[in-house]
Amino acid sequence: MNRRDFLQYTSLMPLVGMMPEAFAAGVGHRPDQIVLMVELKGGNDGLNTLIPFRDDHYHRARPTLRVKNGIPLKDNMGMNPYLKQLLPLWKEGNMAWVQGVGYTNPSRSHFHSIDVWETASTRNDEIRGWLSRVLPPRHNRVNGIVLGDNNLGPMAGDSAVAMEDPKTFLRQTKYLNKKHYRASNPSLAHMLNVQNQINTAANQLGRVYNGRRSPVRFPNSRFGRKLGLVTQMIINGMDTPVYKVSLEGFDTHAGQVDQHNNLMNHLGGGLKAFSDAMKKANLWNNVVVVTYSEFGRRVAQNSSGGTDHGAAAPHFVLGGRVHGGMYGKQPSLDPSKLHDGDLIHTVDFREVYATLAQRWWRRPNPWGNAHKPIPFV
Amino acid sequence: MGRLSFSDTRHLVARTALGQQWGGVKALQGKSRAEAVKILLKSGAIKTPPAPRLTPWAIVNRMSQQSGAGKSRARKMMMREGDKLKSWWMLHLLHTDTPVNEHMTLFWHNHFTSSLEKVMQPKLMYLQNKLLRENAMGNFRNLLHKAARDPAMLIYLDGSMNVKGSPNENFARELLELFTLGRGHYNETDIKAAAIAFTGWGVDRNRGTYVYDASKHDNRRVTFMGRTGSFTGDQIIDIILEKPRTAENIAEKFWKEFISDSRPDPRAIRNWGSAFRKSNYNIKTLLSTVLNSNEFWSSKYRGTLTKSPVDLVVGTLRTLPFPKLPDTELVHISQLLGQDLFDPPTVKGWAGGHAWIDTQTLLVRTSLLNKLTRHSGASAKVQSYLPRTNGAEIVKWLLPLAPVLPLPTTPGKRRMVRALMLDPVFQLK
Repeated sequence: MNRRDFLQYTSLMPLVGMMPEAFAAGVGHRPDQIVLMVELKGGNDGLNTLIPFRDDHYHRARPTLRVKNGIPLKDNMGMNPYLKQLLPLWKEGNMAWVQGVGYTNPSRSHFHSIDVWETASTRNDEIRGWLSRVLPPRHNRVNGIVLGDNNLGPMAGDSAVAMEDPKTFLRQTKYLNKKHYRASNPSLAHMLNVQNQINTAANQLGRVYNGRRSPVRFPNSRFGRKLGLVTQMIINGMDTPVYKVSLEGFDTHAGQVDQHNNLMNHLGGGLKAFSDAMKKANLWNNVVVVTYSEFGRRVAQNSSGGTDHGAAAPHFVLGGRVHGGMYGKQPSLDPSKLHDGDLIHTVDFREVYATLAQRWWRRPNPWGNAHKPIPFV
Repeated sequence: MGRLSFSDTRHLVARTALGQQWGGVKALQGKSRAEAVKILLKSGAIKTPPAPRLTPWAIVNRMSQQSGAGKSRARKMMMREGDKLKSWWMLHLLHTDTPVNEHMTLFWHNHFTSSLEKVMQPKLMYLQNKLLRENAMGNFRNLLHKAARDPAMLIYLDGSMNVKGSPNENFARELLELFTLGRGHYNETDIKAAAIAFTGWGVDRNRGTYVYDASKHDNRRVTFMGRTGSFTGDQIIDIILEKPRTAENIAEKFWKEFISDSRPDPRAIRNWGSAFRKSNYNIKTLLSTVLNSNEFWSSKYRGTLTKSPVDLVVGTLRTLPFPKLPDTELVHISQLLGQDLFDPPTVKGWAGGHAWIDTQTLLVRTSLLNKLTRHSGASAKVQSYLPRTNGAEIVKWLLPLAPVLPLPTTPGKRRMVRALMLDPVFQLK
């Protein structure tokens, strides 16, 4: 094409795209209720995390895997000793355990079961994450940030960004269009909104990245660094209500003892540092930390010194406004009361989500009467 | 009826084929709607490249039964073969001479979903893909009967576990909810009755073929859609096909695929459903009806559909001669964009529409197009390929609507193509 043609069609579109950049508006108001989701990837062994240490069935099922020196908490349940850094939070009443969390007809597939947890649907018919049903989508801004993973998980839908780390994200967003445009149909309007969400997040992250750091030292591990970054985002006033990080390596089919102890140590140490940092910044009352995992593990240990995929497991919640204690009922370990060797859940995982929706964010509970909140917050 | 303009034929081709090759668009210009649609839907011989070597199930079974190591070897082999199968389809999408038929094959893959993730056997997924391709523009009644006894489907929706005394309702439920009537047009009793009728349908795990085991069939009398009797699965399908709602539900899916994400126009759906039923479920008749409708040509819906990852990746590379990326990379990009062929995310398939674009995929889309159009020796080929025509027609060819971002002020064909491809409107069709 020649220069005349060229000018011909530049003139087809006078002035479009000359509008001011929209994404710079309305940033920097930190929400008062923040949630940090911690995914324990691979299926955490709940029985060696919160231990029914007085139960003979436990000791019989796990001759070499049983934890003998659990830290007694309450109701004959003890905490894994490598979580000891969280003991002060338990004593302060800022740690709640929810026991026997799972769902009916549990799947033992990593892929399928994490999908169930993250979409809150057992029917393989939902691709949006459960948070998209709790928090209303925001115009030009995001509800959540996933750190250390490119999978939006519980925030899949249209209101979150996922990144390996902020630096990589900022590099990836460099080429994205920054200009405003006139969206003449709903598909373009959707695209513009997503573009603005990314640009707003990138803008805020750029600022946060050079913002102040917490004086608290985080463990020098992948998990510790991710929590350090979340902390930096929160204290520098990102306007995001949800964060998600994960700790990998819970699929302990063989030689479990050392691996699991090590993971417990990372988990406890990282979250202790996070709570210290939040306290220092006077934000401990504004955050809730919740763990989740695709499933617990089989009650009986296997022949390789490990455990296979199971079902129900306990999870814990931390935060300045958490009502510490034990919630839900520990499922029976009596072999006659197991389902194919697995614990039968006593609490549906959606009750935990319903609690966050209704009691933390004061939002409607999307599960209505089917799954009611638990008073841990 | 009037003659089609260049924009009209571009619209027709971009929405039905894969991409919009210049020659194909130009060839239809000046024809009437009916002529153009007829030419587009003319059936040609479907040629596929030879399938990758896929190990039969019997051998996989033997390997897995030998030992733990054999099991893990079999699993790895299935993963490898699954990846090869994905590359094979991607390459075929890229090179096929029958893009409309291939588009419809993908459409049916998204309708009669099955996934490698669950089925595990690439060979069975390949055979299902072949079934969908061979019937993509054929008869829906046949396709439905065949899909119901397709081995991959029998595994994916647990039909092979559905036996007398222990019914599994998974297939029956999706048959009613997704494949035919749609939600709200049946009740739970119908699902239970249909599940009973399908008991005994299974897969021969050594041959990888459909088998019927009469001893596992429950021939008890049930009431299905108001009719009482001892039914076979095929009879259940025929009863479903008597309901006008089945044709209308498929018509609604065509609306979403070819017209718009917005709610279908009820009158159009009634008309299309009725044409579909009158033709005894001839898919080509339905498609032709849709493509000849005023709704399809209405300016209201032009440029409102979001390109799928296959539209974006395959369509772009078919339209413009950018250096071809290796097939494994194409598969990977499509996965990152949210469309992992042979592995739809849920039984409902890919949600499509606006859901194609989220904060992850928009970044991947941008970086892909950026990479393709970056100034390099290889992209110079594009310049020599560009048709000799005026700039306005190039814009009309590459974009379904006028660009929303300013075009470059420095002249240059490549710069222009790059600007058009990076314009948000390029994501639409």
